[in-house]
Parts: sequence; C-alpha cells; structure tokens
Amino acid sequence: MGKEDLVSNNPLRALGLEKEDVADGRRVGLIMARAGLGKTAILVQIAMDSMLRDNKVLHVAIGEGVDKTRTWYDDILGLMNQEKKIENFQQVVEDVMKNRMIMTFKENSFDAAKLEERMEDLAQQGIFKADCLVVDGFDFTDANSAAAIDELKGFMEKNALKMIWFSAVSHRDDERVSVNGVPAPCHEVDGAFDTVLLISPEDNGLKLKTLKCSAACAVDAGKSLSLDPATMLIKKA
Amino acid sequence: MSVDLSNVRNIGISAHIDSGKTTLTERILFYTDRIHAIHDVRGKDGVGAKMDSMELERERGITIQSAATYCTWKGNNINIIDTPGHVDFTVEVERALRVLDGAVLILCSVGGVQSQSITVNRQMDRYNVPRISFINKCDRTGANPERVTGQLQDKLGLNAHMLQLPIGLESELEGVIDLVTMKAMYFDGDNGETIREEEIPADLQDAADEKREELLDAVSMFSDELMEAMLEETEISTEMVKEAVRAGTLALDFSPVFIGSAYKNKAVQPLLDAVEYYLPCPTDVENLGLDLEKDEEEFPVSNDDEDPLIMLAFKLEDGRYGQLTYVRTYQGTLNKGATVYNTRTGKKVKVGRLVRMHSDEMEEIDSCGAGDIVALFGVDCASGDTFTDGKLTCSMSSMHIPEPVISLAVLPADNKAQINMSKALNRFTKEDPTFKTFVDHETGETIISGMGELHLEVYIERMKREYSAEVQVGAPQVAYRETISTRAEFNYTHKKQTGGSGQFGRVAGYMEPLEEGEYEFEDKIVGGSIPREFISSCDKGFTKSLLKGTLCGSPVTGVRCVINDGAFHAVDSSDVAFQLAAVGAFKEGYMKAKPAIMEPIMKVAVEGPSEFQGSVMGSINQRRGMIIGTTEEGNYTVVDAEVPLSEMFGYSTTLRSLTQGKAEFTMEFSSFKPVPKSVSEELVKKYQDEKKEK
Repeated sequence: MGKEDLVSNNPLRALGLEKEDVADGRRVGLIMARAGLGKTAILVQIAMDSMLRDNKVLHVAIGEGVDKTRTWYDDILGLMNQEKKIENFQQVVEDVMKNRMIMTFKENSFDAAKLEERMEDLAQQGIFKADCLVVDGFDFTDANSAAAIDELKGFMEKNALKMIWFSAVSHRDDERVSVNGVPAPCHEVDGAFDTVLLISPEDNGLKLKTLKCSAACAVDAGKSLSLDPATMLIKKA
Repeated sequence: MSVDLSNVRNIGISAHIDSGKTTLTERILFYTDRIHAIHDVRGKDGVGAKMDSMELERERGITIQSAATYCTWKGNNINIIDTPGHVDFTVEVERALRVLDGAVLILCSVGGVQSQSITVNRQMDRYNVPRISFINKCDRTGANPERVTGQLQDKLGLNAHMLQLPIGLESELEGVIDLVTMKAMYFDGDNGETIREEEIPADLQDAADEKREELLDAVSMFSDELMEAMLEETEISTEMVKEAVRAGTLALDFSPVFIGSAYKNKAVQPLLDAVEYYLPCPTDVENLGLDLEKDEEEFPVSNDDEDPLIMLAFKLEDGRYGQLTYVRTYQGTLNKGATVYNTRTGKKVKVGRLVRMHSDEMEEIDSCGAGDIVALFGVDCASGDTFTDGKLTCSMSSMHIPEPVISLAVLPADNKAQINMSKALNRFTKEDPTFKTFVDHETGETIISGMGELHLEVYIERMKREYSAEVQVGAPQVAYRETISTRAEFNYTHKKQTGGSGQFGRVAGYMEPLEEGEYEFEDKIVGGSIPREFISSCDKGFTKSLLKGTLCGSPVTGVRCVINDGAFHAVDSSDVAFQLAAVGAFKEGYMKAKPAIMEPIMKVAVEGPSEFQGSVMGSINQRRGMIIGTTEEGNYTVVDAEVPLSEMFGYSTTLRSLTQGKAEFTMEFSSFKPVPKSVSEELVKKYQDEKKEK
C-alpha cells in the first residue's frame, strides 16, 4: 500500500470534514475531551492528514516536551503501518516528517504574539512556512483566551494558513454547555470555531462526536465514530 | 568478607558537563574520611580533584574516565562510580548504569535540565535505575531550584519533588530545611563538616509547611500507613515519610530532589543520608542473567554469597599497576587466588590480586561477596565479559554499545612511536568498546574511529602523554555505510585455468535488504549443486565483500544473501574458488540491488538565549539539518534537530560566533540515513578519484 492509504482512516475523512480545509475560507477546529481521553492522539491524526497531503504543519505543544510530542507521531504512524503495511514505510515517514515542526512552550510562557513572531521568523528565513497549525494544551480557562484566539485567527488570514486546530480539556463536574452542546470552558467561545469535536466515553469505548460543523461540511452535527481506546484510531466497523 | 547487603549501595553519579559532579564526589570522600583535604577540579593548588586521576582530566576540568571509589557512611558501604559528562563518552555512563543499583543525577541550579541530563536520564530509564536528584550550585547567581524541579517533571517526566527547601539562595545560601524532619540544617566549620540542626526560621515556616503538604500528598500513594495517618489526621512520623519516599523511589515512580552547593560545602551530608535511605541495596533490585544452556533464558541472580559465583567485568584499565579489571559480583563469593571462568572465551583465569579501588589508589582485600564492586589484577578479558566459578554457564545481559560514527587516520612519527601507538591502541580498544581501530590495507594508514571529535581527540592526547607516541592526525572522516535498496539476483561463475590446478565455482541466488541487523546468510541449496563443504566458503566470500562497498569503499550493512543454486567441479572446486565466486556474485548482485550510501545522523540539541533562535535554526538548516522542534524555556530556547555528522565539523566555532558564545550544543548518534543524491555522487566521484591515484 502507498502513502495515500495512511489517510483513508483519518477521523477528518471518516467524518466527511476533510473538505473543510480546501473550501474557500480558513477553518478553525477544536477537539475537546476530559483529561486523558486522547485529544492529542486525534490532533496528531488531524495534523498527519494534512502533512500527508503535503501541507506544512506547525504543532504547538503547550506544557509538553518535543520528544513526547514527537513520540505521538511515531506511535500513531507505527500503528497505522501495522494496519496498512505501507511499502517503503521508513521513506514515507522521512518525507512526511519534513512537513512537521514542533514548537513547545511552558504553560505560563505561551502567548499568541510570541508564537506569531517565531512563525514569521521561520518563514522569513525560509526554514518552515506553516500551512496549518495545531495547538495542543491551550488554556481556555484563561480570561484572555478569546482575545488570543482572535489574534491567531487574524494571523491565519494574514499568512494564508489553511486551518488551526485546538485541543481543550473539559471537566466532568462543570456542566455548562453552549447551544451547540460545546462544553465548558469553551462554551462561551464556540463561535470562534467552525468545527468542534468531542471525545466521550460510551458503551465501554470511546466515541468521537461532531458537535458543530460549518456549512461546507458534508455531515450533520451529531455524527459520531467509534475509537479504539488502545490505539485511538478509528475502529473498523 | 560477608557483609549485610542491606548496608551496601552501588551508586553512579551522572550529570551534564560542568554541573559539579566531580566536586561533589570530592566532598563526599572528604565527609566519609576517605581524603583529608579538599582540592578543586581546576584548583590553584595543582592537586586536582581525587576522582579526576588522569592528567588530562585535571587539565581540562572534565571527567573522561569513570573511576570507581568506595566509602563508608554511617555504617553503609557505598561504591561510587563517577561518570563522565560529555556525550562522546556515554558508553562509560551506560556501563556504570548497567552495574549500579541507583544513581544520583546532578543538576546545576542555574542551567537546570540540560541536553546531557536528558540523555543520562534516558539511559537510567533503559536500565531501570532508581534515582535521586541533587540540584547543585545553589550559591550561583540565578540559582532557582524550584524551576529546576519543575524541569525534572516537565522535561524528564519524573515525579520529582523537593525534600528540602533552601535557606537563602545565591550568595545568601545558608543551609537547607529538611521537609521530612522539619528541621533547619546549617553546615559550619571550614569545610562544612559540622552540622547544626535548628528550628525552621520563622519567615520560612509557612513555605516549609506548604511544601511538606505537597510532598506528603505526592508520596502518600506509596504507603498505606502514611495515607491512613493523613486521612485520620494522626501523627505522621519521620520514618513513615521516609518509607513512602523509598518505596516510590525504588518503584521508579517518585524521584526525590535535594539541593545544596558542593563547592560551598552546603548540604552534601544530607545527600549521603538520602543515598542510604532512598536508593536501593543490591537485593532491592532484580538483576537478570542469561542462561547460555537454555537458549539465553533470563533468570534472576540470587545476590547470595553462598551461591555459585557470577560477576561482570564492566571496565578495564591498564594503569601503572598493570591491567585492572573492574567487576561487579552479582552472586557468590570471590576469594583471592581463586580460579574463575570467562563464559565468553571459555578460558579459566586465576585471580592473583583482589583490590578495592579508590580512584587511583587501592586497598588489597582477600575476598568479595555478592553486590560488591572491586577490581582484579592480571585478568585478560574484554569489557562486558561474564565470569563464573565454572558451576554455571551464564552471561549477564549484553550491554548496548553504539557503532562508531567518526574516524581519522593516525600516522606515527617514527618507529618508536609506531610501537608505542600499537600498545596504546591495543589498550584503548580493550577498555572502550566504542573506540575501534584498523589498518586500511590500501593506504597502509591506521584508522581510529569513535563517537565524536572529542572522543578521538582525547585518545590521541592520551597516546602522546601516556605512551609517548607522537602521531600525526588526518582530517576527521565520517563513517559512511553502504546498503542495498532492493532485491537482486546473482549468478556468477568463477573459472580460472592458467596452468596447475584450476579454480571453478558457480554461485547463484539473490540478495535483499535486511530490516534489522548487518548481514544474514541463508543456504537454500537443494540437490547438492554446491557441496556442503563449500557452503561456508560462500558465506566467507560474502562477508569479505561486505568490508568494502563499491560506491565509496565503506562497509556494507543491512544485506541478506541467499544462495539457491550453483555448480562445482570434482577437481577444480575448492574453498578459495567458492569464496571468489561468492565475491563475484556479490559484486554482480550489488550493482543491481540499487546500492545507496548511508551517513550517520546526529541528534543535536542547541541551547541558548531565545534572541538567537532564528540564527541557530538558520545554521542548522544550512547544514542539511532537519529541525524537529523548539522548546521555549523562559528566555532560553532549545532547538532539537537531526543533522548529518559530516555537516557538524566546526559547528562549535560557528555557533560561538553566531551567538556571542552564549549558546552551546550537544550531539549524539541517532541513526544511519541515506545521503542525498548530490552528496552521494560527490562521494562516489571522490572514491573513484582516490582509486585512480593509487
């Protein structure tokens, strides 16, 4: 099997959301779950889908190290390869990883302006010009989070980024939700996102649900997928 | 000499360059009465620290070889291996970790967790070594042990918690608060040898209470007794806390953090107490041997003095006392004069003298028991060999030894230098498995190879100083490899009839890339088209061909050769004929199998002020490097990248000028990867030109 087979089982495609980043506008997505349910794994699969289609992805990990973040990619690619048995796998990995850069920040040292400065620096030097951005570990409980998202959306327009995906932690004991069913702490900023996905434990397994998706999206909100809790890949029917 | 093993600690001291581990060891030896005066690493008194026994180490202020030492603290026997900090010497660190039961990770209170700390920590993980951390240099400007503890959690993923709080910091450092006993400790006297215990200063009481709560929360899960006491709000004894910390540490689920300043003689003794309380004794850890009679089945060693002897040679040294072999005994007792068997070579050796090493001095002993680390005299073996008393056929698990990545030619100045150089190389290769040497038969040059520029530089210096071998050194060369990318068939006949007995052999089959390992040979001959006695000749012929690939003359790896047909002649076929036929077959198949040149790729970490991040990344990009990621750490940024070794020569100078000397980098071998086409063409052309010149 070839490289293209690696993306066939990607959550974005399985949910019919992959059209989002090729549509006219720029898209902002959010993946939510309680702590430890596998947000990063899904975020990495979304990033990988983009990388496999030759987009450059900047993975921003807040509060996580470079090595650990890198391991997510290695593990998920390894698992995908176990399923698909890709020809010349090592070469595929090499090629795909050229499309990724990881930038890590301490929880308290991240700010959108600093990220933009770094990204501009990388682009100007011709080192890495990101097409997509994934931000893992962004603090939505911070009072300034809405302003930071707006700032990043402005940056996205200016620099022609195709998409930004965020992850956010929801809490079992916080029952606040938006009209779209987006849980706290993102319930008040759900307007900022075109797509919102939620991982929730159900029937002794994990479900990936679409809480919200844009007009360009081919699926109805509410569509869900089963995830294999051991690998966080989509379960085969 | 049977000792209670619960009173034995075999520990290693590991850290990033210049974190002060040799200084710390010097203080430990002083407080345990092994030495009677303290000398600094780069001391003005010219004596140098005790553990830096090599002249070169004292001069450069870095530890090159690890020396083993022994001391006694409050009735406990502590064997300490002082390990080198530079990444080029990590085989020393790895060997030390293989034989030690616990380790102390030293960190600088300003520099914090640096790239080498990450490497060392990874090695400790590999060998399941419980560890405690010591944040040293708390007297330095900018000292921040809390930040460093945070880094231990974030960067190393350790469940690290401070067991002490500093009383003052930087130049104001006075002592520490012990969060287990809730006492303040001060270190008086000229060398901090007198410990004064007092009540916690009033202004620090709240902070101490808060930190103790955090500590108890973190360790309570390792002790039901402590958990109950906390829930029921009954009295929590010191012993209860110590037991919980110990249990968590041994299970590798908790890592206690201590603070101090070795240079200023502050809080070294509590660290020694911690070694006793929290690090394992030999019976606390499970060491596995491999039963060679049962297909290397793993079995736990017993740690019992009465059982048959098993010991591992983990370090060789050929010093002024003759050949010394450092061994760790895993079970049984070794007596002076006993005969032991090397399970690798099957040879038996008599142990003439048995000594306990104290850096470059030694104590004669008559016997040693399970868990001990001692040195033997006059035992010929290689590093990593296992010895038994002949009752067992086993081996301790093999050690992870990386392949050399850099080589250079050495040319002796005269005949005398030639003889001395041979002696030196013979010794170095025995001592250090990552250091290799061979003679290039085409050029007649002696080539040495190792893990980095500094690694080889140090051996050249040692050749000059210790063996008076004056040598000229060529430019460093990258150790390229060749490999094949696809399966290819071969069918080659070697025929020679030029008078006398002729030569005839035909070898047919295929070669294919091998995912793991260097070379595999498979015989699929049916019907005797190649007689049995010549099968091994084919293997030999292929093995010979692997030594030098045809692209750039580098060794060929990752090849599986399968023979499935052939032909022979009743008179003219011979071992040589089939070897030559296999060489021809290899050549034929190799060119069809899309050969490629592989180069060593180094994992590089550059650490420096964030303002230089752009220039650092630019410099890596220019060197065909792939930037993996960046880590923002306050005003500092670490750039992680993978860069071909061939592009890293002279990088330290570039980096210095780019960053006004404010950034530093470390690198270690990561993997071999194919070189880009342009580089490959250049290497092939260079090799062809060199061949023409000869």
